[in-house]
Amino acid sequence: MIIMLREKPFSELGQEMELTTTIKDVFDRVSKKQRLSSSKTQEVIDLVEQEIEQVLSKIQQPPPPNGGETNPKAILAELNAKLKEFGPTNQLDSSQKDLNMALGKYTKVIDKTFITDIAKAYRSVDFDQHTLNQIIAAHFYRQGLFDLGDLFTTEAHEPDLVSLKAPFLEMYAILEAMRLKNLEPALNWARTHRDQLLLKGSSLEMKLHRLAFVEMLQKGGDARAEALAYARTHLAPLARTHMAEVQRLMGCLLWAGRLDASPYAELLSPSQWELLENEVARECCGALGQSCESPLHVAIGAGVQGLPTLLKLANVMAAKRQEWGAMKQLPIAVELGKEYQFHSVFVCPVSREQGSEENPPMIMPCGHVLCRGSIMKLSKSSNRAFKCPYCPMEATVLQCRQLHF
Amino acid sequence: MEPEPLQNGDSAPSAPVPAPPSKMSNLEESLKLEHQFLKVPFEHLKKSMRVNHRMVEKEMSAVMLTVAEVSDRDMSREEAVHHLTSLVSRLQGLKRKLEESNKTEQLQAQRCRARLDHLGMLQVGNQREWSDIRVKRILVDYMLRLSYYNTAIELAEHSNIQDLVDVDVFLEAKNVIDALQNKEVAPALAWCAENKSRLKKSKVYDIPVVHVRSKLEFELRQQEFIELVRAKNSMQALAYVRKYLAPWGSTHLKELQHVVATLAFTSDTECEKYKVLFDAKRWDCLVEQFKQEFCRLYGMSLEPLLNIYLQAGLSVLKTPYCYEEDCTKEDPLSQESFRKLASSLPFSKQHHSKLVCYISKELMDVDNPPFVLPNGYVYSTKAMADMAKKNGGKITCPRTGLVCNFTDLVKAFIC
Repeated sequence: MIIMLREKPFSELGQEMELTTTIKDVFDRVSKKQRLSSSKTQEVIDLVEQEIEQVLSKIQQPPPPNGGETNPKAILAELNAKLKEFGPTNQLDSSQKDLNMALGKYTKVIDKTFITDIAKAYRSVDFDQHTLNQIIAAHFYRQGLFDLGDLFTTEAHEPDLVSLKAPFLEMYAILEAMRLKNLEPALNWARTHRDQLLLKGSSLEMKLHRLAFVEMLQKGGDARAEALAYARTHLAPLARTHMAEVQRLMGCLLWAGRLDASPYAELLSPSQWELLENEVARECCGALGQSCESPLHVAIGAGVQGLPTLLKLANVMAAKRQEWGAMKQLPIAVELGKEYQFHSVFVCPVSREQGSEENPPMIMPCGHVLCRGSIMKLSKSSNRAFKCPYCPMEATVLQCRQLHF
Repeated sequence: MEPEPLQNGDSAPSAPVPAPPSKMSNLEESLKLEHQFLKVPFEHLKKSMRVNHRMVEKEMSAVMLTVAEVSDRDMSREEAVHHLTSLVSRLQGLKRKLEESNKTEQLQAQRCRARLDHLGMLQVGNQREWSDIRVKRILVDYMLRLSYYNTAIELAEHSNIQDLVDVDVFLEAKNVIDALQNKEVAPALAWCAENKSRLKKSKVYDIPVVHVRSKLEFELRQQEFIELVRAKNSMQALAYVRKYLAPWGSTHLKELQHVVATLAFTSDTECEKYKVLFDAKRWDCLVEQFKQEFCRLYGMSLEPLLNIYLQAGLSVLKTPYCYEEDCTKEDPLSQESFRKLASSLPFSKQHHSKLVCYISKELMDVDNPPFVLPNGYVYSTKAMADMAKKNGGKITCPRTGLVCNFTDLVKAFIC
C-alpha cells in the first residue's frame, strides 16, 4: 500500500528487544568514559598551564631592590622537574587507555551480536546498472516522490527514465485532491473505469458518492436540498446495484447537520477518508497493471527474510565457491512469511521433489497427493494396486488424477 | 500424520528443516543484518578520538620538550618570559581546538546512540513503518556508493533519516574520489597517511600486522610516477622512484621493476605490456581501489546494500511459475526488469508444499484445505463455499469454465 493507515507511534509500543538493551549499556559506558577522558584531558592541560603561568608571573616580578638580575634558570629547572613529576603525557595516555578499553568492548559486542559480513552469500553476478536504475526510478515515481525521481534520473544520467512517471501522475493528482477533501478527480476516474471496476466487483464509485453525500449533509441547513439534488443525480443510478446502501443514505437525510447524533455516525469518522484513499490507490494501481506494494519493497523484504538463512548456508559452502556461483537452485529451503508466497509450490512428501510439468502432483482415491514419479515408483510402473504411504487405502495408477493448483 | 519411511532408495537426502520461527525472533534475525549500520558511525567516532588524542599528545610533548630545553640553557628574563608566554598561548590554542573537537565527538556519539535506539524500536506492531525506513536507508546507501550525492541528501532529508545514514562519511570519500578523477593523487595519499595505523591491521586475524602497508599507497605512487614519465620529466621521475617507490622494492620487486621500465618507453608506445600502464583507465581502477579500502576501513560491505538484499530476495522468490504469462502482479518477478536481474540467480527451494488459492490468493492449509474439482483444478474451501453460496450450490472453474456442483468436490490431503 502506498498510503498507510495511521499506526501507533513508536513510543506507545511494548518491550524492547534484549538484543539492543545490552548493547546500549555497553555504549553508555563508552559515552561515560569519553566524558571522563575529555575532562581529565582538560584537567591536565589546565594544570600544566597553571604551573607555567605561575612561573611566568614569578619571573615577571620586579627584581629585588638590592640584587642584580635574577637568573630564571633555577626557576625554570624547578618548573621542569615539577612537570616531569606530574607526567602529563603519562596521565593522558592512561586515560586514553581506559577509553580504548571501553571502545574495544563495544566493538567486540557488536561484532559478536551482528553478522559482520552480510555479503558472504553474494555472488559476483553483474546486476545490470540500467535495469537497476529503472527499478529505482519506477519505485520513486510509484511512491509519489516525483521530484526525487527526477533528481535521480538526472544524476544517474538516465533521462529516458522520466517517462516512467506518467502513469502515476494522474493517480497522485487524484490522491492529493482527496487529501484536500476534493472528490471530483476521483469520481471522474471511477466513472471512466466503471466497467473495469464492476468486473472486479468493486463498489468504489458508490463509496465515493457516499462520502461526498455525507460531507454535503454535514453542512446542515440548506445543504439538505443540495444533498437531495445530489442523491437524485448520482445515487439514483446506483440504486439498482446497491439498493441497501442507497436506502441507508436516504435515511441520513433526516439527520442533515446532526449526523453525529444519528445511527449513521460512523460515516463521519475521518478514517473513512483514509480507507477510501487507500482503496482508490489500490484500484488505480490495479488499473495500471501494477501491484499494490512497490515491487522493490517486496523484493527487499524477501531478501531481509531470506538472507540470514543464505548466510548460514554460505558458511557451510565456503569451500565450494565455484559451486555457489553455478548452482541452478538453492540447496536449502528458506522459510518466508506467507505475504511472500505468490505461487503454489507442491513438494512431494515422499520424494521431496518440487512439482513441475514433467512431474505433476496427482491425487489418489484416498485424497492424499503425491507426485507422479513417486506414484510410478510405488506401482512399479504397472497397473498393480499399491498402498498409499499415509493410509491403508489401495490405488492403481489409472485411478490417480493430475492436479492443477 | 507421520509418514512411514518408504523403502524408496532414491529419495534425495534433505537437510534438516528448522521449525518456522516466531515473529519476534524473525525480527531479531533481521536486526542482526545491521552490523554496518552501527559500525560505520562508531569507526568515524573512533577516528575523531584518535586524531584528537594525537593532537593533544603532540602538543603536550612539544610543551614538555620546550620546558626541558629552556631549563637547560642560560637565558635572560625577557627570553624566558617570551618562551613561557608562547607556551601558554599554545596550550590555550589547544584547549580551543579541543572544545571544537569535543563537540564533534559528542555529535558522533549521539548518532551512534540514535542508531541503537532505532534498532531497539522495531516491534511487530510497527514493522511496516520500520521496513519503509529500511528501504530508504538502503537506497541512500546505494546513491552514496554510486556518487549520486544530491539524490542521497535529498532522500535523507525528505524522509528525515539524516542520523540513520552516512552521508558525511561518504562526502569525505568524495573529495578523494573527485581529485582522483582529476588525476590528482594528493588527497588520496593524505587519506592513506591519516589512516595508516588502521590500514595496517590485518582483517583476517584482527591483530596489527606491523609491516604490511596499504597497497593503495603503492598504486598511487606508481601512478604519479607514470604521469611524470608521460610528461617526459625523466629526471623528476627518477628522483621520484628513489624517494617514494624504492621502499616498496622489498615486498613488490617485480611490480616495481615493471613500472620503472616505463622510463624506456613513450606514452604512445604500442608495446602491449607497457601500453596498459599508460592507459588512462588506470585512474578509474585507482578510484575503485580507494572505494574498496575505504569501505573496508569503515566496516562497510564492498557491494551496495541494495544489491545484497535484492540478490537474496530475488533468489528466494524465484520459481518457474514467476515466468508464466498469468503470474500475479504482486510478485515482483512478474516485471521484466526484475526478471532480468534474476536471470542468473538460482531458483528457490521449498521443503514443504505451500499452496495458494487461485481465487482468493490465500494459503490453502489445514484451516482452509484445498478442494479438487472433477477436472483436477484446485481451489480453497472458503473460495468454493463462497461461490456455491452465491450461485445456488454451483461451482464454475474460473480457469476452464467447467461447471459442477459443490458436492462434486473432493478434499485433498497435503502432507
